[in-house]
Amino acid sequence: MRDTSSSKFAAAAGLGITLGAAFLIMLLMILIMSETPGKTIYFFFAGPWANTYYLGNMLNAAVPLMLTGLGISFAFRASMFNLGGEGQVYIGGLAAASLALALPGLPGILGIPLALAAAVGAGAVIAGLSGLFKYKWRTDELISTFLISNALIYIVDNIITGVLQDPESNLLVTRKIAVQYWFTRIMRPSNLDISIFFVILLAVIAYFYLYKTHQGYEMRMCGLDPEFARYGGVNVRTYFLLPLLISGGLHGLAGAVSFMGTQHMLFKGFSGGMGWNGIAVALIARNNPLAVIPAALFFAYIEAGAKSAMINADVTIEIAAVVQAVVFYLITAQALYSWIDRKHRRRSA
Amino acid sequence: MNSGEFSIPIIHNTVSIMTPFLLAGIGGLMTELAGMLNIALEGLILIGAFFSVVFAAYTGSLMLGILLGILTTMLFAYIFGAVTLYLKANVFITGLAANLLAGGLTTVLSFYLFGTKGVLRFEGLPSLPVLRIPALHGIPVIGDLLFGHNILVYFGWASVLLAWILIYKTPFGFRLRGTGSNPEAIEAAGLKPGNYQMAGILISGLTCGLAGAILTLNLGAYVPNISSGRGWIALVVIYLGGRTPFGILGASFVFGLAESLSNYAQGYLDIPADFILAFPYIITVTAMVIVSIIKYKTQGDSK
Amino acid sequence: MTPYLKMQNITKVYPANNLKANDTVNLEVFKGEIHALVGENGAGKTTLMNILYGLEQPDSGAIYLNGTEVRIGSPMVAHQHGIGMVHQHFKLIQEFTVAENVVLGMEPLRGKLFFDRRQAEQTVAEVIEENNFHLSPAARISELSVGQMQQVEIVKMLYRRADLLILDEPTSVLTEQEIQRLFKTLRYLAGQGKTIILITHKLGEVKSISDRITVMRKGEVAAVRETAEVDEYELSRLMVGKRIMLDFDKEVGFCSEPILSLQQVTAARKHQDRPLLDNISFSASTCEIVGITGVAGNGLSELEDVISGLMPVSSGTILYNDIDVTHMSAMELRKTGFSYVPTDRLKRGSSLASSIRENMIITNHHDYLTRGGLLDGKRIESHVEELIAGYQIDGRAGMPIGTLSGGNIQKVILARELEKVRDLVLFAEPTWGLDVAGSEFIYQKILDVRKRGAAVILISSNLDEILAIADTVIVLYRGRIVMKRPVRDDAVLSRERIGEYMLGLKDDFSAAIPAGAGGFLERAAEEGGEGYSR
Repeated sequence: MRDTSSSKFAAAAGLGITLGAAFLIMLLMILIMSETPGKTIYFFFAGPWANTYYLGNMLNAAVPLMLTGLGISFAFRASMFNLGGEGQVYIGGLAAASLALALPGLPGILGIPLALAAAVGAGAVIAGLSGLFKYKWRTDELISTFLISNALIYIVDNIITGVLQDPESNLLVTRKIAVQYWFTRIMRPSNLDISIFFVILLAVIAYFYLYKTHQGYEMRMCGLDPEFARYGGVNVRTYFLLPLLISGGLHGLAGAVSFMGTQHMLFKGFSGGMGWNGIAVALIARNNPLAVIPAALFFAYIEAGAKSAMINADVTIEIAAVVQAVVFYLITAQALYSWIDRKHRRRSA
Repeated sequence: MNSGEFSIPIIHNTVSIMTPFLLAGIGGLMTELAGMLNIALEGLILIGAFFSVVFAAYTGSLMLGILLGILTTMLFAYIFGAVTLYLKANVFITGLAANLLAGGLTTVLSFYLFGTKGVLRFEGLPSLPVLRIPALHGIPVIGDLLFGHNILVYFGWASVLLAWILIYKTPFGFRLRGTGSNPEAIEAAGLKPGNYQMAGILISGLTCGLAGAILTLNLGAYVPNISSGRGWIALVVIYLGGRTPFGILGASFVFGLAESLSNYAQGYLDIPADFILAFPYIITVTAMVIVSIIKYKTQGDSK
Repeated sequence: MTPYLKMQNITKVYPANNLKANDTVNLEVFKGEIHALVGENGAGKTTLMNILYGLEQPDSGAIYLNGTEVRIGSPMVAHQHGIGMVHQHFKLIQEFTVAENVVLGMEPLRGKLFFDRRQAEQTVAEVIEENNFHLSPAARISELSVGQMQQVEIVKMLYRRADLLILDEPTSVLTEQEIQRLFKTLRYLAGQGKTIILITHKLGEVKSISDRITVMRKGEVAAVRETAEVDEYELSRLMVGKRIMLDFDKEVGFCSEPILSLQQVTAARKHQDRPLLDNISFSASTCEIVGITGVAGNGLSELEDVISGLMPVSSGTILYNDIDVTHMSAMELRKTGFSYVPTDRLKRGSSLASSIRENMIITNHHDYLTRGGLLDGKRIESHVEELIAGYQIDGRAGMPIGTLSGGNIQKVILARELEKVRDLVLFAEPTWGLDVAGSEFIYQKILDVRKRGAAVILISSNLDEILAIADTVIVLYRGRIVMKRPVRDDAVLSRERIGEYMLGLKDDFSAAIPAGAGGFLERAAEEGGEGYSR
């Protein structure tokens, strides 16, 4: 996926076609499956904008996606795979919740940073493990991240429904964390909290890190052409480990952010889909940290639309997954881009 | 599942547990040999599981259910292959897409057709015929290994032999291996590497369809996400089985045995179910790391 | 007499860079002849042959075989018409046997379903026998020498009953003995009525093997000649237009401090009997260009990797300014100020998708940090602009380097490597694939480096280049140094003499001449082969 100046148009047009095709397929599905297709489509598209509650919740859902999208972008930029996002988000949430539940008396100014640090650390350690295996023995990180994450999901399930389970609830949830750990809401009655500003700031920092620091430069070069980087004197092996540490850290952070402002407790399976959607977000954003923000908003919009259609009409939220799958199918289709490129050249020639 | 009076349930269970790994592994081997990492196995199994039981319930026939289930899985595999090969998309990303689509589609259809996203029970569905030769069941270990299983298990055994013949004894297999090894040589011989890769993908659709059918038809029900990581484990089985059919048979047996043992242990020891579920992944990743250490130590590395 | 093959007014334009690779090209080849298609890199020879073989489609023009027009849409169609091609890069499957590779796509069957391996081996053995090849059908490709792999490619075509064989630069990877064997085979095949087209740019070979010659230059046919009627000088003039002679001022400074020295360096891969580099000792001093040459496959690329720290050494010592750098990685070597222009410009020397700017700072981006630890964009920019101007690079700093021409890519690499030369530069095949003007530019830069007092190691399989600018010549054969002499020793160092060392016929450092070499000389003389001259 290289951007030469002549193919920038093709990249944009290809993205347009991809997203268009995804929406078209979704419309088709609604037309077939819904008994009130007009109403369903209305709620799908307009639902997320209906009022501040829905709008705020959509924005709020985009926040963890921005983080996981950033996390995946880092890995992809370095040509590393991270398929363990789901587990890393989950363990990040668990780490933050455990800390908050263990130290309920800590003031927020101390507690929140500590909880977030715990989340980042937990995610980084888990993803870093795969990085370490690759660093030491060239173990394929594509499969190892996935397997470790899957094993982890069951173990975290066990902790959430075991030692941390709220004895007074008959749902599979932990106890609530103390109030001073809660993020401040900014668009009541929705769940949107101030973390969105910090996350956007983080995306900007990530951009600077990748494009303005020597480490970011080396990481990108290792990702594009490892032999060139090695020849140029870059310690290539470092970049088996570092990108996964960062990627895992960002995923862990997503786990914390997703509950500290919203539910204030963990429920079993809360990370469902955040990891996979992070990959889709990164692909749409072409691994550009700044483009991750709109890409995450787009994904949150599809999910919010599907949710709104589910609540107000008669389709299930999983149609969103179908839309996402179509995006996945087409987003890397080289033939599509070169076809557009040829058309474009012919017209401009 | 009646496993006979004198049998050892662990061995019997191992065989039932390993068959989906085996079938998916054999299918995945075909794409692997053609030079593609097929991470869509997971989704293919899920599609096979859903459609075979649904078709069986609709038609009232197990045979038709399995057949239509397989055909649907192959169609699903074809879409994955077509996008990858003809639109030249990244096989890893389209594989993820296939898995996502399988999860989404089965849920959407389950909700649309049956009004629930939960377990689908199909009462009155005939159970899979079981091969019984009572006289031979008594033979220790071998009796459990070979008899008293449903017919799809024997498809699993047969697939190993068929795959072996196909891969090593026919021009098709010869060219398939050539495709994975050097597609340019295939092209220079006037053949199209894409055709062999597509064939590999379709075969993996076929075997994964069967693997899925075993999961649901054994239960007579569809449980959401019933594939639960088997496609991923199949990938590791291919890898640990040294990319040969009989190696895959061995590796599947090891995984089946491990899972069967942990199920067994659950009955006697007080291990939480979650840990049992996590167990196959832990062994798999451990095995992977060990294999890569051995490889690294024997092949060395440039500085 | 109707030509067996006639290609008429073939034109092919590559839209990506608007390059006219073939411009109304006409080619006539008669049955049973060995026809040489000669020209410099980029003259359009390979494009023309790819069109004939169905790998590419012409924009206009027609192809006639035996007087009838044919459309060749794919290599499959080419095979049906009896056209076979042996590519420069072999298209073989390493883990398959010779017989398996040969029959691939046209496998004999047993019982209509199964691949009959025994029949395959038998048929292939017959083809091998009939055409005097020395190959075992059951041998795996990975066990073969390069020359044998090429034979497999030819057998592949003969098995498909090809009557017209196209060979693309067949000698570029062969040793002299293998070249002679190949030529013998080709003559035999032509005698059997096969028609052969040989793509090459080596004039000596053209003279010794071909019957007729078509010369291409810049996508057009420059001339068609009977081989007997032209000499090499005329051919060379036809090929390049005007010849620029390589003649440089070889004034040497008054310094000769040893900078880099290799002492008994041996490099071996695991499970391999013969080491890739065998007991190599030499040193490079200030104001000296050490030229290292040899035929491909005799250790040049391994030596490049060892000196640059990309390949580990099994034994021996490498000293750089008296510091032991034997086990230093490329990264540590770079920190010492080592400069290196690699053979593989596209994968190792540059990152094609990255901008010129990013390509220029890979070795020294640490020097452009602000106090805050960020990369200093302004300083990098002005530095890069300076280099682009100084090296006359045709491109802007932000352009992906992959969009540049080969010559400009090499200039970017040179600019980066030479700007901060301390006392040592390694050049590997620096002018490979470049045109005359591009090569001149590079030679000038290499000589400048020497003038500044640095030691230069020039690894090159281009003997002209070595003789033109090096001060010392070292010849590698099978991983060993077989000759080491100063270039100015003109009496000894003619091209022919060095050629003998490159082919392993002579060895200054061993009494024993390789077995069979004498026999080879006699054979070559009998056949009137001119060997590797000019």
